[in-house]
Amino acid sequence: MIDFSMYDQKEPKISAYKCQKCGSLYYPAPMVCSKCNTRRDPETNKGWETFDLEGPCTLLSWTRLWNLPEGYTKKNMLFGIVEFENGLRASGQLEVDDPKTGMSLHSTVIESNERPGNPVKVFLFTE
Amino acid sequence: MANVGIVGIGHTKFGNSSEYDLSDVMAYAATDALEDAHFLARRKEVDQVVVGNMASGLFCHQSAVASALVSRMDMEPVPAELVENGPASGASAIKIGYMAVASGMADIVLVVGGEVMRKVTGWLGTDYVATMLHTDAEYNMGLTLPGFGGMFTRMYMERYGMTERDLALLAVKNHANGAKNKYAHIQAPCTIEAIADGPDASVVNTYVAEPLRMYSTCPVSDGAAALLLVNMDSPKAKDFPKKPIRIAGIASATDTHCVHNRKDPLMLNAVRISAEKAYAMASLKPSDISFAELHDAFSILEFAISEEVGFFERGKSFLAVRKGETNIDGKMPINTSGGLKSKGHPVGATGVSQAVELVRQLRGEAEKGRQVHNPKYGMSVNFGGFGNNVVALICAKE
Ligand SMILES: [Zn+2]
Repeated sequence: MIDFSMYDQKEPKISAYKCQKCGSLYYPAPMVCSKCNTRRDPETNKGWETFDLEGPCTLLSWTRLWNLPEGYTKKNMLFGIVEFENGLRASGQLEVDDPKTGMSLHSTVIESNERPGNPVKVFLFTE
Repeated sequence: MANVGIVGIGHTKFGNSSEYDLSDVMAYAATDALEDAHFLARRKEVDQVVVGNMASGLFCHQSAVASALVSRMDMEPVPAELVENGPASGASAIKIGYMAVASGMADIVLVVGGEVMRKVTGWLGTDYVATMLHTDAEYNMGLTLPGFGGMFTRMYMERYGMTERDLALLAVKNHANGAKNKYAHIQAPCTIEAIADGPDASVVNTYVAEPLRMYSTCPVSDGAAALLLVNMDSPKAKDFPKKPIRIAGIASATDTHCVHNRKDPLMLNAVRISAEKAYAMASLKPSDISFAELHDAFSILEFAISEEVGFFERGKSFLAVRKGETNIDGKMPINTSGGLKSKGHPVGATGVSQAVELVRQLRGEAEKGRQVHNPKYGMSVNFGGFGNNVVALICAKE
């Protein structure tokens, strides 16, 4: 079978999850809803909706990390924890000139190959 | 349940043991503990060996370290198993050893915690330790344990008004204690002038994960520690010359894998719950504790843990430290060993090392200048992950 997916390359996205029975939101993916105990089968995702976690968010805390692990070539990098408008939170990389807790940010997803192994999807929080 | 006591302790000097095999480092501490218990010649009478280690597969390219240790010790056919719980592997090994005795399955248990981390570069070591984070949502983002330490510190500072200088005060206190501890990795005092107040302080004490600086972050260390546990109600308990230090309470608890999923990321629920369970088991309250060893992999954790276990009100511990209340001669001495900051943090060894310090203090065997005056109960908290698997231990002088 010919794989047509390569003709349809999209921006990288990171999914969040919604339990259809009770409406609870999750990131990262749960195996069972902590509110109503609905199970999620990662293969069928029956009973669950997925949506892209992106857009406006607020910075809860941040750090500039100097001792980066194996694979990273930059001198230092910023990281942060953000909260989205739907209440979900995520940790990721931060690229702003003057980070301040509580500042409004915009979240996108990039593909990163800094760490050894396959490329991975990374949240990038910018102004 | 049987009463479980500690009748032997062993400890290597923490630091760089990278030229040695992990099994040999652990065997050294284990031999120490058996000698301390006057039980070395009878070591095959041990009913069970429990080993705590976090990541020998990554750091040393070595697996099945419990089996290797028993053979190094010439203790075959004594049963031996490995317990892994991240940086709380050591205290988890004690907990499993306690359960073996309390259940009646064993009367004498040798618990050994050890890690050799310095065979690999600092960059690789940082990466290996970070593998305990959530793979997709934390590790893949490039985050590390110091990264979470930094973000936690900033939240605490912004909420409670603690300053970087308060963190430096902890380093000064812990280095003063560690300078007198024969087992400590860094046996050198430091001054507040050198690391916070002086003109060169920001060069001497550089940022690691802002606002955390080098003197608020533990070093990378190798080492091992060991305990010999005995059923105090068994006739065998009389074979040990040193009076047992009783394990009055031991408990653990877990929390969310992702730090961002905690309703209030400054609440260390696993610390609070494990401590509450340990207090209940020991029928004690925070004010009964004479001194404590708290897992200061990052100095902020000494503050936060001391509040979660009930020694201080939330957001107030740094005020007590300013007044010297956690010094050796203070109301609640904390990290009398030097803590992870000065004594070092060979991840799998730390929980057992903390227990060794509790025993040394309760026996009155700590070095001059860092012996707490006549302590009755000592507490330790061994913090795994970024607080997602924590063990609390309370030891009592009988
Ligand atoms: Zn649900």
